[in-house]
Amino acid sequence: MSRVFHTTVRRPGLRGALRSLVSPERVAKTAVEDVSFTVGAGQLLALLGPNGAGKSTTIKMLTGILTPTAGEARVAGVVPYRERERNARNIGAVFGQRTQLWWDLPVRESFAILRDIYGIGEPEHRARLEEFDELLDLSSFWDTRVRHLSLGQRVRCDLAGSLLHDPPVVFLDEPTIGMDVVVKEQVRGFLRHQVERRGRTVLLTTHDMTEVARLAERVVLINHGRIVLDGSLDEIRRRFGGTWQVRATLTDSEACLDPLPGIALLRREGAQLVFGPESGLQGGERNTPTAHEALRRIIERFEVSDIALEESDLEDVMRAAYLRADATVGSLASTEPALRSG
Amino acid sequence: MAINTSSVRVAWITPLGELLAPPRITAGLLRLLVQTVLVVALWRGLYADTEVKAGLTREQAVSYAVLAVLASRIRNLDRSASRDEVIQHLHFGTIVYWFLRPIPPQRYYALRALGDQAYGLIWLLSGYALCLATGVVELPASPEGAAVAALSLLLGQWVLYYVMLLIDLLCFWTLRNQAALLILVFAQNLLSGVYAPLWYFPDWFITMSGFLPFQATLAVPLSLYVGRIPLHDALPQLAVQAGWVVLLAVLTRLLWHRAARRVVSQGG
Repeated sequence: MSRVFHTTVRRPGLRGALRSLVSPERVAKTAVEDVSFTVGAGQLLALLGPNGAGKSTTIKMLTGILTPTAGEARVAGVVPYRERERNARNIGAVFGQRTQLWWDLPVRESFAILRDIYGIGEPEHRARLEEFDELLDLSSFWDTRVRHLSLGQRVRCDLAGSLLHDPPVVFLDEPTIGMDVVVKEQVRGFLRHQVERRGRTVLLTTHDMTEVARLAERVVLINHGRIVLDGSLDEIRRRFGGTWQVRATLTDSEACLDPLPGIALLRREGAQLVFGPESGLQGGERNTPTAHEALRRIIERFEVSDIALEESDLEDVMRAAYLRADATVGSLASTEPALRSG
Repeated sequence: MAINTSSVRVAWITPLGELLAPPRITAGLLRLLVQTVLVVALWRGLYADTEVKAGLTREQAVSYAVLAVLASRIRNLDRSASRDEVIQHLHFGTIVYWFLRPIPPQRYYALRALGDQAYGLIWLLSGYALCLATGVVELPASPEGAAVAALSLLLGQWVLYYVMLLIDLLCFWTLRNQAALLILVFAQNLLSGVYAPLWYFPDWFITMSGFLPFQATLAVPLSLYVGRIPLHDALPQLAVQAGWVVLLAVLTRLLWHRAARRVVSQGG
């Protein structure tokens, strides 16, 4: 699917402003172009990309807020922007720090409003609140008015509010932005629970690479409105230069160091040997072993008394990935999609 | 519009927020009290040397002015403190949630407005009862007059609802409608006769305001109440009010449709 926005460009200066008033110059900006992917039921997919890449526009089309200029989206079998009300029962959504709760009311009142809007039965509602309270510790502040909640408390309430009607598909647009590490971890645990235990399909956008590493089974990388990569984190590391070093201390310091395929001895640091990808191969190239493969090969080949693995930071890998917007599109097809755009 | 639990719950949002904020109720009460006292003093003062002005006796003028103050309370809730104005939802990007619930945004908006107006009506009725008891306001000349004025007030509130909706819908195109809102509030107060009954204005002003919907909101029902518009002239006035309801309903329906196609939230 694609989405083009039309905006009016204001010309500089007083003359320009007057000209813009009389004959406004309209420009078309393609926010999303030919984005196509499917997500299987019960899968968590991270939609990543730099600011302005087209992630939020993609989510807005999938939630039915925006209509694609071309192409079509299906979420749980429904075209979201054509059947907004039907789609609303299938999805839950949290957009960053934007709350859907009512500012002046206690959280529980907001939950009760959502309960009635979605037509949820009282026993079901109570059971769900209990579950969410167990995971997100809501009861300590759910009688507080929303305006008095901290950011972390509010987003936890928003997460609970978005799932009160038990939607099979959940869209989370930077849900943990601005949160402290403790709350972030709590939210991650909650999301893991929703995917693994409740079988919900989650589409998550985030700039937090720890979150991606902890949660995402699959990543779709988007840049300049186009999909750059669709695959696993390992695939991203492999493709965009995820590099590694293995530090090993051998039991026999005089052991014969025969070369290992794809692995080079970079240097000796006292009793420690430092291995890395073979010279000429960038970490991430097709023949380069992954960090874990290298670790296995070294352990199988040598008798080691101590071994440590150092991988490049995921943020470095993503930085490299964002910069290489022209990389070819990878794809991982999944069966029985809960969500399809194209 | 079917009445069900969710409708009542949505309509109840603003009144509940108000009831949970006693300082706001106290401030509202004080404001209404001060305004009423000042308006009574002003109009009694203006009629000190005369019996009838612009076809209104002193009692009629005072009743009209006091009821205008009370009636303006019906749809005069300040939702900005609750971050619940349409302009704020557009500014903060929370308008997206209006389009993500199994209740159409136009129905949600209508229910919220209905709740606001019902809550405001309780204020009006309480104030009216108090003013009647203290002799500040006179009863209508006949039960028929009261019934017609009540019907006209209902139609007037309906017109007012659409006028407010029209301004809120403007936000979808302008993102900022403060200027439009300020103009509307001034125009509404002036042309609906809140500041002063339209009968005191020159003929050209009365003719001009006849082409606008504002006088249908308050001036007509209040003039019917005090008897400045006789009962036998009520029907054409009610027809004009109904006409405005239909016209504005069609216009806002069209605008809602277009607004839904261009939901824009700032940032991200």
